[in-house]
Amino acid sequence: MTLPVAVRIARRELRGGTRGFVVFLLCLMLGVAAIAAVGTVRTSIEAAIGDQGAVLLGGDAEMAFTYRFATDEERAFMAARAAKVSEVVEFRSMAVVGDGETAERALTQVKAVDAAYPLTGEMVFDPALAPVQVFAPADGIPGAAMDPVLADRMGLAIGDRFRLGTKEFRLAARIVREPDAAATGFTVGPRTMVRTEDLAGSGLLEPGSLFDTNYRLLLPEGAAVAPLGREAVAAFRDTGMQWQDARYGAPGMQRFVDRMGSFLILVGLAGLAVGGVGIGAAVRSYLDGKVGTMAALKALGATSGTIFAVYLIQVATLALLGVLAGLVLGAGAPILAAPLIAGALPIPVEIGLAVRPLAEAATYGVLTAALFALWPLARTREVKAAALFRDLGPGRRVWPGWRLSAVLAGIAGTLVAVAVGVSGVPELAFGTLGGIIAALVVLTLAALALRWFARRMGHRARGRPALRLALSAIGSPKEEATAVILSLGLGLSVLAAVGQIDTNLRASIDRDLPEVAPSYFFVDIQPDQIEGFLARVKGDSAVSRVDTAPMLRGVLTEINGRNAREVAGDHWVVRGDRGLTYSALPPERTEIVAGEWWPEDYAGPPLLSFAREEAEEMGLKLGDRVTVNVLGRDIEARITSFREVDFGTAGIGFVMAMNPAALQGAPHSWIATVYAAPEAEAAILRDLATAYPNITAIRVKDAIDRVSEALAAIAKATAIAAGVTLLTGVVVLIGAAAAGERARVYEAAVLKTLGATRATVLASFALRSALMGAAAGIVAVAFGAAAGWAVMTFVMEGTFRFEPVSAVAIVTGGALATLLAGLVFALRPLAARPASVLRARD
Amino acid sequence: MNETILSLEDARLVLEGNAGPLEILKGISLDVARGESLGLVGPSGSGKSSLLMLMGGLERATSGRITALGHDLTALDEDALARFRRGNMGIVFQSFHLIPTMTALENVAVPLELAGAANAFGRAAAELVAMGLGARMDHYPAQLSGGEQQRVALARAAAPRPAIFLADEPTGNLDAATGEAIMELLFGLRDRHGATLILVTHAPELAARCDRVVRLADGCIAGEDRARRVKVAE
Ligand SMILES: Nc1ncnc2c1ncn2[C@@H]1O[C@H](COP(=O)(O)OP(=O)(O)O)[C@@H](O)[C@H]1O
Ligand SMILES: [Mg+2]
Repeated sequence: MTLPVAVRIARRELRGGTRGFVVFLLCLMLGVAAIAAVGTVRTSIEAAIGDQGAVLLGGDAEMAFTYRFATDEERAFMAARAAKVSEVVEFRSMAVVGDGETAERALTQVKAVDAAYPLTGEMVFDPALAPVQVFAPADGIPGAAMDPVLADRMGLAIGDRFRLGTKEFRLAARIVREPDAAATGFTVGPRTMVRTEDLAGSGLLEPGSLFDTNYRLLLPEGAAVAPLGREAVAAFRDTGMQWQDARYGAPGMQRFVDRMGSFLILVGLAGLAVGGVGIGAAVRSYLDGKVGTMAALKALGATSGTIFAVYLIQVATLALLGVLAGLVLGAGAPILAAPLIAGALPIPVEIGLAVRPLAEAATYGVLTAALFALWPLARTREVKAAALFRDLGPGRRVWPGWRLSAVLAGIAGTLVAVAVGVSGVPELAFGTLGGIIAALVVLTLAALALRWFARRMGHRARGRPALRLALSAIGSPKEEATAVILSLGLGLSVLAAVGQIDTNLRASIDRDLPEVAPSYFFVDIQPDQIEGFLARVKGDSAVSRVDTAPMLRGVLTEINGRNAREVAGDHWVVRGDRGLTYSALPPERTEIVAGEWWPEDYAGPPLLSFAREEAEEMGLKLGDRVTVNVLGRDIEARITSFREVDFGTAGIGFVMAMNPAALQGAPHSWIATVYAAPEAEAAILRDLATAYPNITAIRVKDAIDRVSEALAAIAKATAIAAGVTLLTGVVVLIGAAAAGERARVYEAAVLKTLGATRATVLASFALRSALMGAAAGIVAVAFGAAAGWAVMTFVMEGTFRFEPVSAVAIVTGGALATLLAGLVFALRPLAARPASVLRARD
Repeated sequence: MNETILSLEDARLVLEGNAGPLEILKGISLDVARGESLGLVGPSGSGKSSLLMLMGGLERATSGRITALGHDLTALDEDALARFRRGNMGIVFQSFHLIPTMTALENVAVPLELAGAANAFGRAAAELVAMGLGARMDHYPAQLSGGEQQRVALARAAAPRPAIFLADEPTGNLDAATGEAIMELLFGLRDRHGATLILVTHAPELAARCDRVVRLADGCIAGEDRARRVKVAE
């Protein structure tokens, strides 16, 4: 029927230029680009993890133990089921070069391997040697490889010697690439790699030392990894075995990618929602400018359907352009920045074109454009031919009919479904979308309130023309105020939320740093060394405080004879093994909040003191019986007290403490924190390390720096997301300002005709922007805080604190940007001679 | 002869058209006396509106001199022109040009407020009542008929009691009967307040009511007739 006609008319209209659509295009492009970019990077990382799962893990599967080697039973289990087994031992130690005063010491994460290592992937050394050659002894001194950073710091050249514990090693190679590096997770020092057998006699890896063992399994061809995992977990979980398999080669990384990916996609979605409001406003403003054309077409015999088609075709064409541009930008940017991104990741990732994320981004984009453009488009049906002869806009206050409502609801539903599906975290997706909808509702109410207020206050402002002009513009039945507050408010809300999250992440890095942190954290102090250790530090006047505690690891397996996981759910205390200590007296600075500590010389059945907060969370009561498996032995203890434990100060904190007789017999070591004046730190370290080469000293400041770095990476990712949202927000703000320009030009001309100076006109425009900005800003601050709290609490699993500086800065920034954009767009109206404007309307 | 309230000396207007500069007014010299009613007639596109815009200071002459009430309009900047219009010039257009975001009352009050008049709203209301719009004060322009809108525009122009009325085809968008009523009001205003009226019109019978009629053709004054015996060339 009239479709070909509509296409022809649409083409002619588009030929006239797309100036009114710049905002539309930019909003769509930025939103789609953000989602496409995040999706592309995420897909590439996931592909890398998936493809190289076995390499990243170092085998098809892994059984890991803490502070012990596998028992004979466990070894037999592995040998019976795996084609090949490799044992890897990880621990922290001190690498030492030289002697006495001039000795150079550095904390290192030692990885001791066997001849089978690596089962998968390849070690790359510099010089290019095979592992056998690297570790082979020369002159009776075994070989070792080191992280180049560590070797350089210690001034070690190839062939130079250094010590681990009491054992001497020779630097045979620098580590270029370690295939399973990502499997280690968080480390506090750079890597040194040696053969486990060469550590014999080093004084390290003694019973009670803190070390992890990982047994990598290569399964026979065709063997299924999942059932084996279930079998292993059933058999050995209660003795502290942790199972991992290649499906999740880098579990920490996977979780990080998942969480960050979902979060960033949602930020992108929110950005697109902000853009959507901009899209709606742009379409509306474009169509407002076309009322004359529509009326003329109608007068010439075009039906409402034809006119709707004419503009639908235009909007659809431009939406396609915007989505395409967004896809190009979204796929192109990460590929261009691939070296940068890959360099920041702990595993080799090849960033390339992926169809799925692009298709998803395009879907989001098209659905958003449709959702936000259809309503204003529907108004084209309402334009009467009479509009030609009267200064009428398209029908005001047009609510979508039931057919359009159904279409819009369908689109919104699809959008939600796609968002839920793609983000992979329904709670997060629903939360975000719910938040956006709630924000829109509150903003609409705020707009209504402001307009009501403006009408009420209009009388009061009589005689102050600039203010009254502003108030009557806001209060008028033209819905500009609502549109501006919606787009501005949603933009500012998302900005404020991202700002809150960003500052909270940053602040949490600082906030979590203890104010009085110990200088050193010492581990692996053997029981027979603790006396000498204390003698050295306690006698030092530069040492203000020393805390020591014996440390064991144990798995909380049962509570009152029932499986602990069933009783306490998935509480972190029953997940894997926990630190455990013993003490005859309540430790210093410990507050018993319920029950009583055992007598100093108590020697009866095992008693236990539990951390108060964790006990409450797990539902433990005084008198409950708790079974802890320590190095394969079950110890059942009765809870006789609860105490306050602060885990956040980098001091020593244990969830569980027992009476000495219960644990003393098990092999264990001591840990200590030493608070010393900075200038005395070096001497303390030197003396202790010389006397007890097996002891590892962790400089707390360095460890904190490592944690800070990890958190800073997250903060950086959110900052980038914030940047994209900011950009979208600014575009929307500018769009809102630009959309009002036509009306502004006209008003300025009429006002000038009536005797208004440019200052009065400008003041009235500025007041109008400021009032609407303030309304949008107040809502945005509240929403930013709510969203920030939700994300920090549920997504980042951190604590939230309202950051007023960020909130105020973002909202005033946004309001100023609107004001500025408004003023920039007011310049033309102000400069224009009234004649040219008014004549155009005559 | 009365004192001259508005005078143009060789006023030229060149506008930038699509195909280069376009000379729209080619040297107009004209004196208007206080209290006079002057009709501007001429074919469409002859420059009537442009001339009116120049007189109202809404357009800047490319050259020549325009003096109104002793002020040289060509020497005033945009703001000075705006201030000058307050209380001196009341302008009515064919398309009314009411501010769409304001009610009738608010529209009429604006020039009074801008002029810092006391009791701006009281006077605006009185003006609307005088125009027969007492019941329409709180309506927005879109809620008014064309004739009503033009009466609001008239009230808005008249409220500050300007010395000069400029009207550009004020009845052009209205039916004959409504247009007639508007004209009655317009001439009534002039008679009551002794204002000077400069009226662009197509209607011969309206031109005939003016003291003097100036005929424009192609940006030049093509003829002038005093008193009521003009033949309007169309
Ligand atoms: N902004 C403009 N740029 C260029 N030419 C214009 C502009 N506005 C009007 N014109 C031209 O100036 C001439 C006079 O216009 P106008 O004063 O509106 O005539 P009238 O009111 O007598 O019909 C016309 O030829 C018109 O095309
Ligand atoms: Mg004209």
